[in-house]
Amino acid sequence: MASVAGTASAVSVRPPRRLLQVSNGISGLKSVSFTNQRKSSVSIRSAPRLRVSCAAKPETMEKVCFIVRKQLAIADDTPVTGESIFSQLGADSLDTVEIVMGLEEEFGISVEEESAQSISTVQHAADMIELLLEKKKAA
Amino acid sequence: MESGVRRWLVNVSLWNPSVDQFASVVSLLPEDEQRTITKYMKFDDRKRALVSRLLQYSIVHEVLGIPYDKIIIHRTLEGKPYLINGIGSPFSNFNFNVSHHGDYVGIASDPLCLVGLDIVSIMIPEQTTEHEFMSNFSSYLTALEWKNIAKTGTSEVKLREFYRYWCLKEAFVKATGAGLGFGFHRLEFHHKNWTDISVYIDGIESREWKFSLYKIDERHWASIARGLANGADEQFDASLPVTEVGFIQRTVDQLIQSRSHGAQQNSC
Repeated sequence: MASVAGTASAVSVRPPRRLLQVSNGISGLKSVSFTNQRKSSVSIRSAPRLRVSCAAKPETMEKVCFIVRKQLAIADDTPVTGESIFSQLGADSLDTVEIVMGLEEEFGISVEEESAQSISTVQHAADMIELLLEKKKAA
Repeated sequence: MESGVRRWLVNVSLWNPSVDQFASVVSLLPEDEQRTITKYMKFDDRKRALVSRLLQYSIVHEVLGIPYDKIIIHRTLEGKPYLINGIGSPFSNFNFNVSHHGDYVGIASDPLCLVGLDIVSIMIPEQTTEHEFMSNFSSYLTALEWKNIAKTGTSEVKLREFYRYWCLKEAFVKATGAGLGFGFHRLEFHHKNWTDISVYIDGIESREWKFSLYKIDERHWASIARGLANGADEQFDASLPVTEVGFIQRTVDQLIQSRSHGAQQNSC
């Protein structure tokens, strides 16, 4: 079984090791908080979103669109742009993982699983890639 | 007596409406739902989205008796649908979950436990081998789970095992409403030939969650995750039956007919 190459360079928060606490009921399903035994308690949204300061370059965007198109078998006459939302293009959770794998291979980067699963738009993917490429250059 | 528990499936490949027929069914739903459905690019996705919503409104109407035009369903930030005007219903935590993949759209409801449903359509990868396909997901399953998969037979069997693990993890994440960012590698499923399924979360066995797997047909499987939110442990054993109820197959025509029937009742 091939292992995911490279070191994780995406921003992520590692939840501490303890039982998942879920909020009760229907309207409380917006977030899950994790507390640890140490002094500070960490409360995070369960879908970490990167705050990116650089927008994706056009070449990056183009490559991302190409990979998304291929994975989702999108007809040529259907537009795929930065605004495109994966689910609306027909991606399910398996597709999202495969798209991210394709992007990792194409750009030589590594994306944290939690971040990978939460990518929902083409722009989001492209911005994340740009950020990871910058970090890689700076490293 | 109404239990609040439902398990429904619709085979959408059996429903092939014309463009007009499809549009007229879409128009039965509230406008914001209509807009969401039409945002899907592919027609098959629109069809699944429509049937998913028909199921949601039907289940609420049938279980809670709320008239169709009074049902308000919203979504959490993570996209999980929920009923906002269910307060005062006889069920303390009535919730439901929908899923669709391949030919099937399904819905599951529970009066008390958080319920998650996931349907997978096992597709043999075309461009790559099964091994290459599964290697995309190497960090999503644990070492033990991959070991169990490796122990089984042919690549096709291995693929099916992979999809079962994936399906269970999805059902759990959907039940908790934690969203896509919940790391699948934190979950490890233990089972005895796919019965007695339990989950370890961050290495600790959870006694609060129960799982079941169903074979829908040769290509489709469904998983149900049921668990309790905090502080309801006392009621757990009393309310959770040991065996799960099976799925009932419904058709789109039935769902549409029950809406007009429901409307007629209200106008009397």
